[in-house]
Amino acid sequence: MARIGVYVCHCGSNIAGVVDVEKVVEFAKTLPDVAIAKHYAYMCSEQGQQIVQDDIKDYKLDRIVIATCSPRMHEETFRRTVEEAGLNPYLIEIVNLREQVSWAHTHEPEKATKKAEALVRMGVARVKLLEPLEKHKIRVEKGVLVVGGGIAGIQASIDLANAGFRVYLVEKSSSIGGKMAQLDKTFPTMDCSMCILAPKMLDCAHHPNVQLLTCSEVKEVKGSVGNFKVTVLKKPRYVDEKKCTGCMICSDNCPAEAQSEFDECIGVRKAIYVPFMQAVPRVPVIDMESCVECGLCEKVCPTHAVNRAQKPEEIELNVGAIVVSTGFDVFDPSAIPQYGYKRFKNVITSMELERLVCASGPTGGHLTRLSDGKIPRSIAFIQCVGSRDKRFHEYCCRVGCMVTLKQAILAREKIPGDLKIYTCFIDLRAFGKGYEEFYGRARDMDIDFVAGLPSEIHCAADGSLYFDVYDRGINKLLEVHADMVVLATGLVPSGDLWKISALLHASRSADGFLLEAHPKLRPLESAVAGVFLAGVCQGPKDIPDTVAQASGAAAKVIDLLSSGEIDIEPLKAVVDKDLCSGCRICESICPFVAIEMKPEFVKGEEKLMAEVAEAVCQGCGLCGSACPTGAVKIQQYGNKQVVTQVQAALAKTCSDGGG
Amino acid sequence: MSLVDLMSTAKPNFELRDRILLKLGRKDLVNCYQCIKCTSGCTALKLLELKPHEIVKLVNLGLVEDLPSSDIIWTCVTCLKCVQRCPQKASPYHVIIALRNLAVERGAKVPEGYLKIVSQILESGLAEPPQKIVTRKMETVDRESAKLPKIKPPKQTFQAAFMKAMEEK
Amino acid sequence: MKIAVYWGCCIQANQFAYEISLRATLPKLGIELVDLSESVCCGDPVKSVNDFAADFLAVRVLAQANLTGLDNLLVPCNRCHFTLSEAQDNMKKKPQSAQKIINLLKEEGLEYNPNIKIWHTINLLHDHVGLEKITKAAKKPFRGLKVATHVGCQLIRYGDLGRADDAENPRKLDELIEAIGAEAVDYAEKLDCCGAALMRSHPDSALSLAGSKLKAVQGLNVAGLVVSCPDCGLMFDVKQKDAGTIVGAKFDVPVVYYTQLLGLAMGIDSKKLGLQLNQSPAEKLLAKIST
Repeated sequence: MARIGVYVCHCGSNIAGVVDVEKVVEFAKTLPDVAIAKHYAYMCSEQGQQIVQDDIKDYKLDRIVIATCSPRMHEETFRRTVEEAGLNPYLIEIVNLREQVSWAHTHEPEKATKKAEALVRMGVARVKLLEPLEKHKIRVEKGVLVVGGGIAGIQASIDLANAGFRVYLVEKSSSIGGKMAQLDKTFPTMDCSMCILAPKMLDCAHHPNVQLLTCSEVKEVKGSVGNFKVTVLKKPRYVDEKKCTGCMICSDNCPAEAQSEFDECIGVRKAIYVPFMQAVPRVPVIDMESCVECGLCEKVCPTHAVNRAQKPEEIELNVGAIVVSTGFDVFDPSAIPQYGYKRFKNVITSMELERLVCASGPTGGHLTRLSDGKIPRSIAFIQCVGSRDKRFHEYCCRVGCMVTLKQAILAREKIPGDLKIYTCFIDLRAFGKGYEEFYGRARDMDIDFVAGLPSEIHCAADGSLYFDVYDRGINKLLEVHADMVVLATGLVPSGDLWKISALLHASRSADGFLLEAHPKLRPLESAVAGVFLAGVCQGPKDIPDTVAQASGAAAKVIDLLSSGEIDIEPLKAVVDKDLCSGCRICESICPFVAIEMKPEFVKGEEKLMAEVAEAVCQGCGLCGSACPTGAVKIQQYGNKQVVTQVQAALAKTCSDGGG
Repeated sequence: MSLVDLMSTAKPNFELRDRILLKLGRKDLVNCYQCIKCTSGCTALKLLELKPHEIVKLVNLGLVEDLPSSDIIWTCVTCLKCVQRCPQKASPYHVIIALRNLAVERGAKVPEGYLKIVSQILESGLAEPPQKIVTRKMETVDRESAKLPKIKPPKQTFQAAFMKAMEEK
Repeated sequence: MKIAVYWGCCIQANQFAYEISLRATLPKLGIELVDLSESVCCGDPVKSVNDFAADFLAVRVLAQANLTGLDNLLVPCNRCHFTLSEAQDNMKKKPQSAQKIINLLKEEGLEYNPNIKIWHTINLLHDHVGLEKITKAAKKPFRGLKVATHVGCQLIRYGDLGRADDAENPRKLDELIEAIGAEAVDYAEKLDCCGAALMRSHPDSALSLAGSKLKAVQGLNVAGLVVSCPDCGLMFDVKQKDAGTIVGAKFDVPVVYYTQLLGLAMGIDSKKLGLQLNQSPAEKLLAKIST
């Protein structure tokens, strides 16, 4: 005989606006074993919780049903509430009257009330069969894997290392730095990008708690929050990092050249190279595809660091949490042929322009045309290329307008004398701190803002470009002639983001970026426990927001792991060894690889039996439903508990006598 | 109380606007954010001043009273560039076709050529009858002398069916 | 393969050269043309008057095609091809209107078959016959002959509907020209419209558009302009002089249908390809070929 307390929440008008809460309470009182039933405006409030706690004492309640919003909102809260009152926290049942009733059936209050009653009936039936369970603690690894060595990964690594954690920073290219290393100046302050990035790169690399793994990729991730087992594949760079002093004599002597990816294929690099001078680690890598195998690098290296026989290496890491900071790709405007990219040499992307104006770039910072090296006397910027577009990426890339303003100002400063600058835009977005002022600065610099986008771009015989564009401010069709056209291409999810997504079971949102646990309240973590998100991999953003998010993600990791242990929810699968037949169906069906077959001695014979790794198990229930003997059971979700709910759903008792 | 165009004193006609949207199969407004790509590339802009973005915005605001009877809606060349390039799939071409249909319904001025063709189709099935052409060498050629098959007219039931179809709004 | 063919009004009214050259070349490439039992307008000009009636006419053409029992329909005119394709799409997207159309067809004893594949000359030759076969069939390929192509608007737009070629970079007609040994040059005005649709309401503007394009083509110093639609053919070929008057230029551009050029490459006599019917100076092009 149980003594059940039923509490129906109004949730303000969210539930009470549709469901007749008083009727539901009266109905609950008629159910067997219900000692007390009440309703209240906000059960999750202090007063609401107090009511439950007082009632547990006053009425000696041993089971609680709270009919309120989704358990994802306040189940944890109410567990703590009853625990403080001396009741086992797993003897409560949350019945969802909001997402599943009042919000789903807003226009049918009578039917909604009946459904609410049925759900309460099911909850009361089930709560009787719940068993007291205990959370227990597991020790966690005080190590963190940071995937991606751009500014987000670097910032997170520094913060975590300073807090005393072991950090493994995995970067797929041969140097950390990411896209920020390619930028010339950064808006709105016009700081030189590398000047503010390089000190951070060095801080990160030299920190005793950080281990840099460049030329590396995550190959496999096993385990779960607190105890991830990660396999990192370190690809050969063919240079021994321990012996190399970064003198670059090898590169100076290398006869083979290839297009420089860092310079957006405008400039060249050697086959043995560092991507940029401030690379960290300053250890070159050999690109075997362009290497002509002359052996010169090996000969001239003063420390014999070149090792063409280097093999890939697999490194096993044990970490407690993972921070994903894999960054982004830039939209390829070849998908919009009418804008002439790749067809006309003087149509370039913003990233290509960035390399042209950068002092460390292929032209030494001289802004010249790609077709003939001449200084342009007119430049046109076209916004939203590939962004805000249902045919490509529907989202706004967030930084395009600011990048163009920055580049327009840089162009004006770099080219003295005559230079016409046109920017064609839909809406100009300058939302951040100092951004509107920056826009004002651009407006003061004789830059023409054309309110409209062109439909197509054409090329004249001398390589200059022309296009028609209608300006909706003056209502005139303008023909613009520009020596150079810069397409403001948006940020898009990395082409290989699917790999990380699959490895970590981290979902992606509709726009292709990684999905956060909650867009407003939990923007720094994925839905997978122990996996945190930092930077553009979670959504387009500028450098200030990236750094903020990276430090935030680090703080979340510190919060999770600093005590050295975390609580494990007991709502997992357990195996009754007496019933297990060793058929292995559960092992094959588990999507989290949480079940292993272990040998057990039964009646003198050795048998393989299923064992659930509690820390990895997510309690999804697949094994429990597949097990043919009923040996595998999910705590609180065994056949008894589920069947009783189904029976209660079909029972005919309702306040009006209907089903 | 909504808004007034002070230049023309026109007020929105929401009922007419909704009819236009219904014809387009839309329940909501046309999803246009005035990027102007359609007008920038409009074949009919330079010669005839057609601004597709303007027509779409007038429809969205409901300032449509004068549109069906305007001359501008008949200037579209149907090149479909606006449909192809619109980043929001707003398709100004379809809006213009809907306005033309409404012009015919309301008895507004319709270029003669269109109405002539409808009668021609009703009569013979074809928009234009086969012609005799005169070659560069001043020879007259028709289908028969070009050894092309005779044109087969539609059966008797066609006229009634077409007329019925024309009565649909 | 057997394929039903719908000519539309323009080809049958005055663009005989297109019909003649298609009838002369396709059978030699293994395509047997089966005419429909009726010639009725596809509905394109009716769209502006009553788009439901226009859809009805288009679907009626598809129903006529259904009577042949064939699953493939060749539509050599760009506008008819677009009209039929969009109507076929509307039958899926507008179920209420689709039902009304089906009822009207029933009254005439006609049935709608949604599985008819609509082809155009360009993609039938490029995708179905294939470039290899065409190159083989070209006994007299044109080495060094340079032409400009005008594939038109309604054949390639709008992409979401599924068209015969890419809307921003249509290459099929160019490749078909390369397959017979000639060269198709690129030019900025390649995707510009011929203006035909305005002839019935704004003839001067229509001719001005055609004239602008002809000006550009004339400046390319090519042997000719190759088209694949009778409306475009009308504007550039028949109306070339008038277009010149409107834009203040004297035009001398041979304008031919691709199938005429193909036929010449296949060794078919020029008279059997309707080249005597082109109003533009086709003999200039012929002269370049025979040298």
